[in-house]
Amino acid sequence: MIGVIFGVIVPYIAVAIFVIGVIYRIVNWANSAVPLKIPTTGGQQKSFPFIKRTIYDRFDSPYTWWETAGRMLLEIFFFRSLLKNTRYYLDRVSQKDARWLWLFGILFHYSLLLVLIRHSRFFLDPVPSFVETLSEIEAFKGVFIPSVYMSGLAIVAALFLLWLRRIFLSRERTLSLPSDHFALILLLAITISGNVMRYFVKADLFAVKELLMSLMTFNIGHAVEVANTIEPIFYVHFALASFLLAYFPFSKLMHAGGVFFSPTRNMPNDNRARRHVNPWDPADVPLLAKGITVAGRVYKSKKLDWDTYYSMYTDQLQEIEEADYKIVPEEL
Amino acid sequence: MEEMPERIEIKQKFPSWREMLKPVKEFEEGRLSYLSLPKQVDSEWFKMPFGDVERDFHDLKLPENWKEIFLEAMKDTLEKNRSFKLFMDICVRCGACADKCHYYIGTGDPKNMPVARAELIRSVYRRYFTPAGKFFGEWAGARELNEDVLKELYYYAYQCSLCRRCSLFCPYGIDTAEIVWWLRRMLSRVGLNQRFMTISIEASSRTGNHLGLLPGGMYGAIQQGLEELKDYTGFDLHTYINKKGADILFVAPSADYFATPHWYVMLGYLLLFNELEEKYGLTITWSTYASEGGNFGTFHSYEAAQLLNSKIYKEAERLGVSFIIGGECGHMWRDKHQFINTMNLPPKHEEWRRFWEDPDLGNLAEGLRGVRFDSYASGEHGWIHILEFVAALIEHKKIVVDKSRNDKWIATYHDPCNVARGMGLIEEPRYVLRNVMNNFYDMPEHTIKDKTYCCGAGGGMLADELMDLRMRGVMPRMMAVRHVYRKYGVNILLTPCAIDKAQFPHALEYWKIPIEVGGPMEMVGNALVMTAFGEKPEDRQFDLRGEPLKPEEGE
Repeated sequence: MIGVIFGVIVPYIAVAIFVIGVIYRIVNWANSAVPLKIPTTGGQQKSFPFIKRTIYDRFDSPYTWWETAGRMLLEIFFFRSLLKNTRYYLDRVSQKDARWLWLFGILFHYSLLLVLIRHSRFFLDPVPSFVETLSEIEAFKGVFIPSVYMSGLAIVAALFLLWLRRIFLSRERTLSLPSDHFALILLLAITISGNVMRYFVKADLFAVKELLMSLMTFNIGHAVEVANTIEPIFYVHFALASFLLAYFPFSKLMHAGGVFFSPTRNMPNDNRARRHVNPWDPADVPLLAKGITVAGRVYKSKKLDWDTYYSMYTDQLQEIEEADYKIVPEEL
Repeated sequence: MEEMPERIEIKQKFPSWREMLKPVKEFEEGRLSYLSLPKQVDSEWFKMPFGDVERDFHDLKLPENWKEIFLEAMKDTLEKNRSFKLFMDICVRCGACADKCHYYIGTGDPKNMPVARAELIRSVYRRYFTPAGKFFGEWAGARELNEDVLKELYYYAYQCSLCRRCSLFCPYGIDTAEIVWWLRRMLSRVGLNQRFMTISIEASSRTGNHLGLLPGGMYGAIQQGLEELKDYTGFDLHTYINKKGADILFVAPSADYFATPHWYVMLGYLLLFNELEEKYGLTITWSTYASEGGNFGTFHSYEAAQLLNSKIYKEAERLGVSFIIGGECGHMWRDKHQFINTMNLPPKHEEWRRFWEDPDLGNLAEGLRGVRFDSYASGEHGWIHILEFVAALIEHKKIVVDKSRNDKWIATYHDPCNVARGMGLIEEPRYVLRNVMNNFYDMPEHTIKDKTYCCGAGGGMLADELMDLRMRGVMPRMMAVRHVYRKYGVNILLTPCAIDKAQFPHALEYWKIPIEVGGPMEMVGNALVMTAFGEKPEDRQFDLRGEPLKPEEGE
């Protein structure tokens, strides 16, 4: 019975929530307008040819689309902005680098990537050779028996480090909401149960693969059959992972998708070469001069165009006209 | 000056997450901005919703259905601005931004951490716009919107100078300036506006500039500048105003017409324009209608910014100029670089179009051939920064400068936030300064360029009632200045930003650093040899402050 619930029903629901949720969130973001081109420039702009730009400037203050793409890639693969991190000390003028957060973050995310790649063996048949190779490399094949996968241990360590940060650093403790702790605890539970299953309480992995393959081909009859033969420890891991999938679209974990949409990062700093059009403002007459409606009332500001301006200050403007639009020092 | 606190104590507090969700009830003196009066926000020139009521912070006199209006404004913002929606959703509260905010460093108030400032409105967003917040309430970090929360939002929205330093360090580029800017727009929909900025916005929408200067006043101010220059240099100089058919329109922040040390920069502009006209025949005009480069609307809302910057392209068109040069100002360049040509349609008149087909200054004045702008600018925008312009003139040897005239100054350069992080103008000013003076030293690397610290008065925080906040916020910058003051004997802090120039004299006095404040164009003006007027490098006796260029013996 446990097998059917956690092996068949729950994963289907979780994946459905995950897919629909993520698509919904992304469409929802994409539907929102981008009124202004507002990149945060972290380096020298493209300027005259004699103003030199370093390679860092090109990516921190991108002008072309490929420089912008480069900035995004650096952000996604190397967490470039976090790498700039410095701590502020009241009593010190010198720069003090503090890149622990970057290190823990990189450790966690790359371990996660390796773990996910290794897990693809359960979904793919035949298993691609690079997955095999990668697994062998990270396990230093032959050194330990059975093989010890570094990423599986590193991810637990990284999660603990990230969590300890939130518990012991006063600023981070103040900032952390229950949901921040929850996400870390959930990930810890998943990774620890996975490691336990791998090294201590083993489960039948051939059956697991058969289950997942039949779930993917919607061969539900066979899936139910196999599901009932697998050890309970697998379902601890599997149910938690399903829950994470379902939780993903509603949580801050969506930062994985959101980072691609960030207007301060994904727009080039080429405002002066190419005009950005605001989809909700035709820009012909100022919106306040057209009037804004709040609670059913229209608030309209008068527009100071040249003719209005001229009629308001005619005398003074005529004096300027009489001086032939020229200012000279007064004769003493 | 009497309002400055005698003693600053930075008390760091680390409350629990539950405490953080509760609105503060005590508002520190010196950090709470005054609310606008009807004459500012119910003016026929700048009419804001519910602006006709005189409010007090303790009695907000909100409209009856303020909550609906506020949430409606929030819904509108979420649809109209992707960055706001995204930044509500993707923050992971990693804390990378926390100690990047100069106001947090200076006040120690936990809600001044950029992430916490954003959480103030994010918690309201969660409660009304996300399923998790609706079901789990406080446990999902959500909270009800009530009058106390609204007060807190106002209090902290007006303790941010929109400097974007936090956005630089955020792994997702979450820009607190963007969140706060649109939050201020929401607050203005229920009648809450900050007095200091709306005074200037109203004046600018009525007269064309923040100071409320009328055409005659501006004329007189520039005239006085020309008279002073005659005293210092002996030359009969002139300039144009509202002149049709000039080659270039020049737009400066209005503080340059009166305030000190802005004034010296103004004199620098005038010297440069005269040299260019006399030598090459390039004519540059001022305008009384487009007399304001700055734009306090960029502190308030998209619509207010647009109301103020809509005049300038129109004036360029009316005067028939080929392009526009902008003066030394910080937030002006966020507006003029990133906003103006989206908020308005760029000019299409004949001269403009013709120039930008082949943007070489030689097409306006033959002798300047070779100075081109097409490596980064186009007729879809048409603005050039004065320091870019000067850098190009120096590089192409179109003007003669004598470095030694600035030998009494040992300078450091402060990057204005918006110029550095909203534009990327970093090397041009340094290029200019290295060419016009011999003694130039940068401050420590983590306080300059893209990582520059705010002066603590940008984004509408220049109000007198915020003196405590200002003197605290400027502390990181002042510590960096003190460092170069001690190490290199720096005696002038140069900055191309009008707000900086207004804030730093107070700040330097408060933090007991006995140095002057000025702008790069002042140094350019000192060093510029007026060859067209027959001046030789050694001829100039006085600097633009009217003091001898070479300190007398024995001094």
